[in-house]
Amino acid sequence: MKGIFSVLVENKDGVLSGVSGLFARRGFNIDTLAVGETDNHEISSMTIVSTGDQRTIDQIEKQLNKNIDVIKVRRLSEAKSVCLEMMLVKVAYNASNRSSLIELCQITGAKIMKVAPKFLLLEYHGEPESVEDFIQLLRSYGIQEIQRTGTIAMEKV
Amino acid sequence: MTGAEAMIKCLEAENITKVFGYPGVAIAPFYEGLYNSDIKHILVRQEQNAGHAASGYARLSRKPAVCVVTSGPGATNLITALATAYADSIPIVAISGQVSSKLLGRDVFQEADMRGATKSFVKYSYLVKDPDDIPSVFKEAFYIASTGRKGPVLIDIPMDVQNSTLKKPFVYPDSVHIRGYKPEIKVNMNQIRRVVQALAQARRPLLCAGGGVILGNAETTIRAFCEKFNIPIVHTMMGMGVIPKSHPLNFGMLGNNGKPYANNAVEQADVLIVVGARIADRAVSKPESLARRVAVIHIDIDTAEIGKNLGPTIPLVGDVDDIFKILLEEEIRPADPSWIAELEDIKHGTVDTRVFSDRYVNPNLLVQTLSDKMDDNAIYVADVGQNQLWSADNYIMKDGRFLTTGGMGTMGYSIPAAMGAKMFAPERQTVAVCGDGAFQMCMNELATMRENNAEIKIVIVRNNYLGLVREYQYNLYNGHYEGVRLGEWPKYDKIAEAYDIPFFICSTNDALDETIDAFLAYPGASLMICDVDSNDRVK
Repeated sequence: MKGIFSVLVENKDGVLSGVSGLFARRGFNIDTLAVGETDNHEISSMTIVSTGDQRTIDQIEKQLNKNIDVIKVRRLSEAKSVCLEMMLVKVAYNASNRSSLIELCQITGAKIMKVAPKFLLLEYHGEPESVEDFIQLLRSYGIQEIQRTGTIAMEKV
Repeated sequence: MTGAEAMIKCLEAENITKVFGYPGVAIAPFYEGLYNSDIKHILVRQEQNAGHAASGYARLSRKPAVCVVTSGPGATNLITALATAYADSIPIVAISGQVSSKLLGRDVFQEADMRGATKSFVKYSYLVKDPDDIPSVFKEAFYIASTGRKGPVLIDIPMDVQNSTLKKPFVYPDSVHIRGYKPEIKVNMNQIRRVVQALAQARRPLLCAGGGVILGNAETTIRAFCEKFNIPIVHTMMGMGVIPKSHPLNFGMLGNNGKPYANNAVEQADVLIVVGARIADRAVSKPESLARRVAVIHIDIDTAEIGKNLGPTIPLVGDVDDIFKILLEEEIRPADPSWIAELEDIKHGTVDTRVFSDRYVNPNLLVQTLSDKMDDNAIYVADVGQNQLWSADNYIMKDGRFLTTGGMGTMGYSIPAAMGAKMFAPERQTVAVCGDGAFQMCMNELATMRENNAEIKIVIVRNNYLGLVREYQYNLYNGHYEGVRLGEWPKYDKIAEAYDIPFFICSTNDALDETIDAFLAYPGASLMICDVDSNDRVK
């Protein structure tokens, strides 16, 4: 199963390595990790997505809570949250498939950030699944480089 | 006031009178502070032993103890002791010197990233960059080490921070506010109700006491609880001392090195109350299956222990003494005496089929005789290896303490830890028991012991082998003994002579009584060799 954790942490050095180290040494998986400051400079917010069985997900929550630099842990359900991911991607094109690629961008809402002689640099954001789907669609053109932010999430209620 | 002087002030505010350490350049300003204070510094002979000595001291004082090391190799030498204290939840505040903050990250002489290196072995760590942070860092460190689930806390402090002057006046904080750390957990009364319900339905309840009971100072309350409701007790190795051996409700140590009748009691129970124990692989081989046949109530101060090794349970999180004081007030029908009688029958029906060589000393008889003759409130420190398992199996617990490292299993723990314990409680008889392997890992501390008049007694269970690994090779590798023979060295009588302490040797069962009497009767530190057969096994 998938676990989405929204974690508030102290914004100081060593905290990120402490949290990621906790995953590493207990054999938990980090699928994505996104970190940024909150409106309070002393506090950062992390969204961590992990997969594992129920016991593992429960343990992750407990171990996160145990970490002294962790202020608050919330476990989000996909249904009750907004989950978003952003991606930058360079896609190769040639004369024959250029227009179909541009058409694909129009349909999916991907933004063309740069038109280069041999590639388009696209920005796309959406629910994590739709990012995956979009990547699949781009494969036939040839993906040169990809950068993803990882999931960020927030409860709707 | 300099940072170093502030550090001393903080230790004084925490009523620290002794620190165990080993100096070096990066911690020299702090030592200048020590020179001008009444805090006594105990110079160990290797940094790891400063940590173990602090562990022994902390286990007796039941408060955080302090060890001090320099940067680089001094600090890395301490890591094993920190990991040991972490695994056993022992409160220690470790201070390490660090290179000047301007040089951090440049790999200069004796620089080691101590915070990074110890991340998974300490409860929390600090790298102090501003001398004005010293009071709050120390206050927090002592608070974190000694509250909730106890453990070691590291303060890494660069040399320039020790040397520079505080800009603000020194004020030691009265209280601590850490957003992410709230160790005082209010006992959940709904969970108490569930526990009481489960106990009310129990016909064969059993309590399993772990080291957390001792760390939570709850021995007396737990005994009173079990006596009131007639609940038998088994314990883990770290739970030795929760209840005397002679107590009618004590059914011994469980686990693969424990008493068969203790494990049998776990098999027979219908409700198992696990207290302050993580039930790791050595205690129950398949802990996750336990909850399938028996209702498990899991009581711990650490929420993260709930459901880590054991399967589904009735969890109850909080201070163990608080919880059992509440449970003591409940009215639950005491367990039927027939349940205790059943366990008694199993206990007395268990025959020890192990055969021990009679050419040398029988290690079981050694531990039984020794612990029987020791003072009621004596401190017994078992090292790691066969000696630990023979000790745990045969120790006659009275009103004393049994210290060992059950979590990390660190060889060489016994002598420095015994020394630390003795320095807190000089009036109590203190005996370290180790194998000839472990002894050679910590024998350098005999000098510290002599220098500081820590009159501990040392028993070396000698078989010229690393016995427990040898036993493993016997069982799993057809007796292919590789890398386990210690041989004939050193000459232990010469070691005793070198440190000017009396030497006793016992090589037969017949001589045990007399030798142990003489060994214990000698008023100061002494060393006793007990020769056991290298073919003698734990199982």
